[in-house]
Amino acid sequence: MKRTNPVKFWAQRLSLRHVLTGMVLLWVLLLILFPLGGMFQKVLAAEPVSCLKSLLAPSARLSFKLTFWLTLGAVILNTFFGLVIALILVRQNFRGKLLLEGLIDLPFAVSPVVTGFMFITLFGNNSIMGHFFDEKGIRIIYAFPGMMLVTLFVTFPFVIREIVPVLKEYGVEQEESAYVLGASSWQTFRKVTLPSIKWGLLYGITLTIARSIGEFGAVLVVSGAIINKTQTATLYVHQQFTDFNYTGAFAAASVLALISFVFIMMIQFSQKKVKGGTWE
Amino acid sequence: MKQIWMILLCLCLLFGCGRTKQPSEQPVTLTLGAFTVPKEVYQKQIIPAFCAHWKQKTGRDVRFEQSYEASGTQSRAIQSGFEADIAALSLEKDIDAIEKAGLITHDWKNNPGEGFVTRSIVVIAYRPGNPKNIKGLEDLAREDIDVIYPSPKTSGGAMWVVNTLYGAGLKIAELKTGHKNSALAKKFLKSVQKRVKVMDKSGRMSVTTFENGIGDALLTYENEALLRQKQGYLFPFMVPEASILIENPVAVIDKNVEKHGNRKAAEAFVDFLYTKESQMAFAEYGFRPIDDTLALKLKETFPRPEILFDIHYLGGWDNIQKILYSNEGIWNEIINELANEN
Amino acid sequence: MKSSTNWPMKTECLRKNVFCLRGLAVGYIGFLILLPIAALGASAFHSGPGAIWRETTLLRSMASLKLTFILALMTVILNIFTGTATAWVLVRYEFPCKKFINGLIDLPFAIPTVVTGIMLVVLYGPNSMIGAVLGRFGLEIIFNQPGIVLALLFVTFPFVIRAVQPVLIEMEKDLEEAAMTLGASPFQIFFKVVLPTLLPAILTGAALSFSRALGEFGSVVIVAGNIPFKTLTAPVYIYGEIESGNLTGATSVSLVLLTLSFSILVLIHFIQRWSRCHETD
Repeated sequence: MKRTNPVKFWAQRLSLRHVLTGMVLLWVLLLILFPLGGMFQKVLAAEPVSCLKSLLAPSARLSFKLTFWLTLGAVILNTFFGLVIALILVRQNFRGKLLLEGLIDLPFAVSPVVTGFMFITLFGNNSIMGHFFDEKGIRIIYAFPGMMLVTLFVTFPFVIREIVPVLKEYGVEQEESAYVLGASSWQTFRKVTLPSIKWGLLYGITLTIARSIGEFGAVLVVSGAIINKTQTATLYVHQQFTDFNYTGAFAAASVLALISFVFIMMIQFSQKKVKGGTWE
Repeated sequence: MKQIWMILLCLCLLFGCGRTKQPSEQPVTLTLGAFTVPKEVYQKQIIPAFCAHWKQKTGRDVRFEQSYEASGTQSRAIQSGFEADIAALSLEKDIDAIEKAGLITHDWKNNPGEGFVTRSIVVIAYRPGNPKNIKGLEDLAREDIDVIYPSPKTSGGAMWVVNTLYGAGLKIAELKTGHKNSALAKKFLKSVQKRVKVMDKSGRMSVTTFENGIGDALLTYENEALLRQKQGYLFPFMVPEASILIENPVAVIDKNVEKHGNRKAAEAFVDFLYTKESQMAFAEYGFRPIDDTLALKLKETFPRPEILFDIHYLGGWDNIQKILYSNEGIWNEIINELANEN
Repeated sequence: MKSSTNWPMKTECLRKNVFCLRGLAVGYIGFLILLPIAALGASAFHSGPGAIWRETTLLRSMASLKLTFILALMTVILNIFTGTATAWVLVRYEFPCKKFINGLIDLPFAIPTVVTGIMLVVLYGPNSMIGAVLGRFGLEIIFNQPGIVLALLFVTFPFVIRAVQPVLIEMEKDLEEAAMTLGASPFQIFFKVVLPTLLPAILTGAALSFSRALGEFGSVVIVAGNIPFKTLTAPVYIYGEIESGNLTGATSVSLVLLTLSFSILVLIHFIQRWSRCHETD
């Protein structure tokens, strides 16, 4: 009876494909799934009633509401201006284009602490802008506008970076044909350009939503963390954690993660599948 | 697919809008900017008690907006435009900074507690059963002990801790030789700092780190330890042989109360903090009262360390800021030296 | 019948649109991005270049910058390998739950950084199962440098993967197939055919990872011991200087960090342009 060497046995059956897939899955498991799972497990282990109670508390609800409005504002403004900037970047030629490209990526280079610090320097009591707005009676920092600005800053690049490659790929021929046929710029944009960048745009919006929901460092510095007024969901999680209310903290954090995850999964599943790929 | 997006959007809008109650009569709003540690006592006891008291006295409602951040952070926020009507901070120097910025124009120390509303001391928390047999501050310099306290850069509480260690060093030298010896104090502080493996952002976080299994001894506010015990956790601690007297100040911010027109209510709140009712509430949550008669009554709960000194022993905040925490200060020297030695 | 297009009016309209658009874009970017950076720069020079130099060259500030740089570099190197492999597996292979795994890649964007730090401490800290086991071997992850790298790996996880995936999808397989018919081994095909095409994307992802790792705060402040010279990174150092009132120190190190990250990004842009020019050969 021939003795089979187990190593040889498996080596014959497992190809590079399997090994690589296995290793990658293990990596994802250890780095992402495991910590996340641990967090969800802690939430599920706690009494669901107390979890629910802490989630429905006024300060929790208000913090989620605040995050909602900040996210909505970021999505609307950064999508609108993102489209404008992307169109300029791809369809037009002008001096300083390289500088523009660099500026778009700048928010990635700035640490959240520094972001908050910059806006405090810009709009604080001791600055020109600060005095200007103070005279008008408008509060920028330690109030909603400051938090909105900071959220806009950190989520600025996402939509642009997703649309630009698609626009570049797409080319101008169809748009030019539309012009020749008599369509106005707006019509061309709406009926020709927009549908072609649809998936890039939606993905950029999803990333904007996810980043905006999860932003912590910059908002911490710029908001004053006034309970029920300038406390976002992430600041609420932080507060709960420092109050030793771990259940409340993890419950809220899980909700935030789930919301982002839902948006991301929706993009995944609603895209037309292309051979082996995961988006067009 | 489009329908699903529309439904989701509608759900979001519904969730996001919510209903806000319209107040029938505009209540007085007071904004409190406090440090993190007294959050529970303010939220659960003192603020509701004051609201009832104010309603009884004036027939009007008062609404509170509250922010609890590290003392230094809160002070900077108020200086940079956070419109707090009352500041309740950990360190006197943080209120002084607000005063220097022109936001406080009255003599805030002119009241029964000389501006201070609560007291505390630094204590050593240890593992149940005291396996490493820690007896006091001097044991913290032992090779086999890992010590936890937050970073003095970000935490007011840590400054109290480092001041305690330095002051204890000075006191020990004074008792042995008859005068303060800053070199000996530095040596003691350095030997303890060497044992520190983790410096968290805030006092609360260092309690969390300790509870997560790091370290053999935690230096923290007494009231933090008492609060943890009150919440039902096993949190044994000891009063060390020496500690600084922690005194936490409160002040009305003139510029903001002028702007908001709520000076009467703000001043009433600060006065309320000195009433027996409030001081008892503070005591319940682990703070030592300012009121001397009450302090005497609670002698058992709040034992006095053998050696108790205050910030004046160290020459005042400005002096200690320069000596210890400035760029050329002793603490930074210690950090540099420890790095070179490793 | 539709009238013929009025070209002069059309071009005039288009030109107006162009200026409109440019104006909007410039205004938005100027207000949102340039102005805050300028404020930071102005505040730095208000303190004087001498003070800035002094603060930056303090031993502990240099140490924090060096530590941040090294840890970010380690993270990026790991990300290059694991990210490329993950992208490859996600594009080229089929396996169960693929869509789920693919969605998970973006999840680090959704988790607040402070929660990441807490999760890692709870899961790998000394009180946890894994932490206890590793502790017996003398390996302490949390509150030491490996813990920082772990947190950085988590938050920078998506960058390389998401940069490489589109390129892999776009890539036409005929070059690879040609190489295969000519007798190249899988490794040869990968290194000589696939990798050169992927390189710009990998570098882009690496640059983004690096920038993010340099600036990461929320998770590092929890997971690191924050001991100066050992586990105190630049963002946490900056935060400490802000909190202790040393705004000059905070501003100087912020500017250094910012310049470093931004230079890497600009460098990568140049590499990408250069590679695109050479692609047409």
